[in-house]
Amino acid sequence: MQCDEVRPRLDAYIDGELAETERAEVHDHLEDCPECGPETVALQRLREGIRRSAPTYRAPEALRSQIRLALRREDAATTRTARPAPGWLAYAASLLLAVAVGSGGTLLITGERQEDVVANELIDSHLRSLLGSHLTDVASSDQHTVKPWFAGRSDVSPPAVDLAAEGFPLVGGRLDLIVGKPVPALVYRRREHVINVFVLPASRGDLGATVTRRGYTLRHWNEGDLGFWAVTDAAPSELADFERVFREATKG
Amino acid sequence: MAWIAQRRRRSRFESVVLPHLDAAYALARWLTRNDADAADVVQEAMLRAFRYFDTYREGDAKSWILRIVRRTCYSWLERNRPADVVPLDDEKVLDEGIADTPIAAGNTEAILQNRSDLRRLDVLIEALPAPLREVIVLRELQELGYREIAEITGVPIGTVMSRLHRARSALRRAWEGKDIGDAM
Repeated sequence: MQCDEVRPRLDAYIDGELAETERAEVHDHLEDCPECGPETVALQRLREGIRRSAPTYRAPEALRSQIRLALRREDAATTRTARPAPGWLAYAASLLLAVAVGSGGTLLITGERQEDVVANELIDSHLRSLLGSHLTDVASSDQHTVKPWFAGRSDVSPPAVDLAAEGFPLVGGRLDLIVGKPVPALVYRRREHVINVFVLPASRGDLGATVTRRGYTLRHWNEGDLGFWAVTDAAPSELADFERVFREATKG
Repeated sequence: MAWIAQRRRRSRFESVVLPHLDAAYALARWLTRNDADAADVVQEAMLRAFRYFDTYREGDAKSWILRIVRRTCYSWLERNRPADVVPLDDEKVLDEGIADTPIAAGNTEAILQNRSDLRRLDVLIEALPAPLREVIVLRELQELGYREIAEITGVPIGTVMSRLHRARSALRRAWEGKDIGDAM
């Protein structure tokens, strides 16, 4: 083999991609050739340099668990849409009524308590906010930015207070569509956790102070004519603290 | 029960595909050049793969998932940074001989603004046009063979070879300091 035949094969040679006979021929040539030999050494040096200096990227642990969660959600979503219609329709109807009528009705259409239905829907919404890039529509810790943003976008006007001093910084606000109804959500952080506070008209029923569903913690309380539904992946005790400081700060 | 089948499918996906999460992330990280974007793209790709998992037949799961990750990266780049996905020009020239690829293509000048960085191979790799960058990453860092690289990138093996050659030549020229001036 001559140099002009060897050169185009050098990459494949150092990559171990040549057939045995070709490899042997190139090898023989490299033993003797004063130019191709050093060229090969230079290629190998480049390879070593790349392996030495290029960072090894590994998927963050958080990504791994986020993906597992997303897969589970994906399955849950397909189960729900695959379910025959009557149950789902009744569910949607009861939820829509719950949101629209608020404290008004007794809505035991499906046999599920209306609050349970709402709770499930809000946990889904919380999950959506964590998975996508849509955590906030208006990103601000300033209540004079967040509160007016909701005006005209929703029926209720949520009290947006920054609680950074108490360890719960306000991140912003978001409008979620829940069965076609816009529901405002206030977004707070607790260290690496997110707390979504959904603000609906007050409901007469009570979910009980704290419930844990599907690994998420939910608290519900009424204040005046508003009902607050806080959802988080932080510990239940932290959510209890949150409710306390939030109520104190919004008492007026 | 449908949910049992669903659960079985999911745990099969987790045991077949998720072991390649690090490789998927590394490829996305090199293509997007950013941690947060890489995480977004990988998550999107994994969900997409999960939806099409029924089309996966026994075989090389790593190539299968990397192909999906790569495609997701490119469509993400097209949406968010179209300047990053300019196609390679004069791909043909490669078959005839050595083509000169300027190390900085597209909008990568910013990455090269610091001259002292030009000796750093990781910076040089980041500055390569995406089609050259990915073959270097797949070959040198993921240590994949030409056939697998061809499968992942959807081009013939001959093109993989010529792109590798082109990428290495460009890296060597800049790294060995032969044409730092031209590289700018």
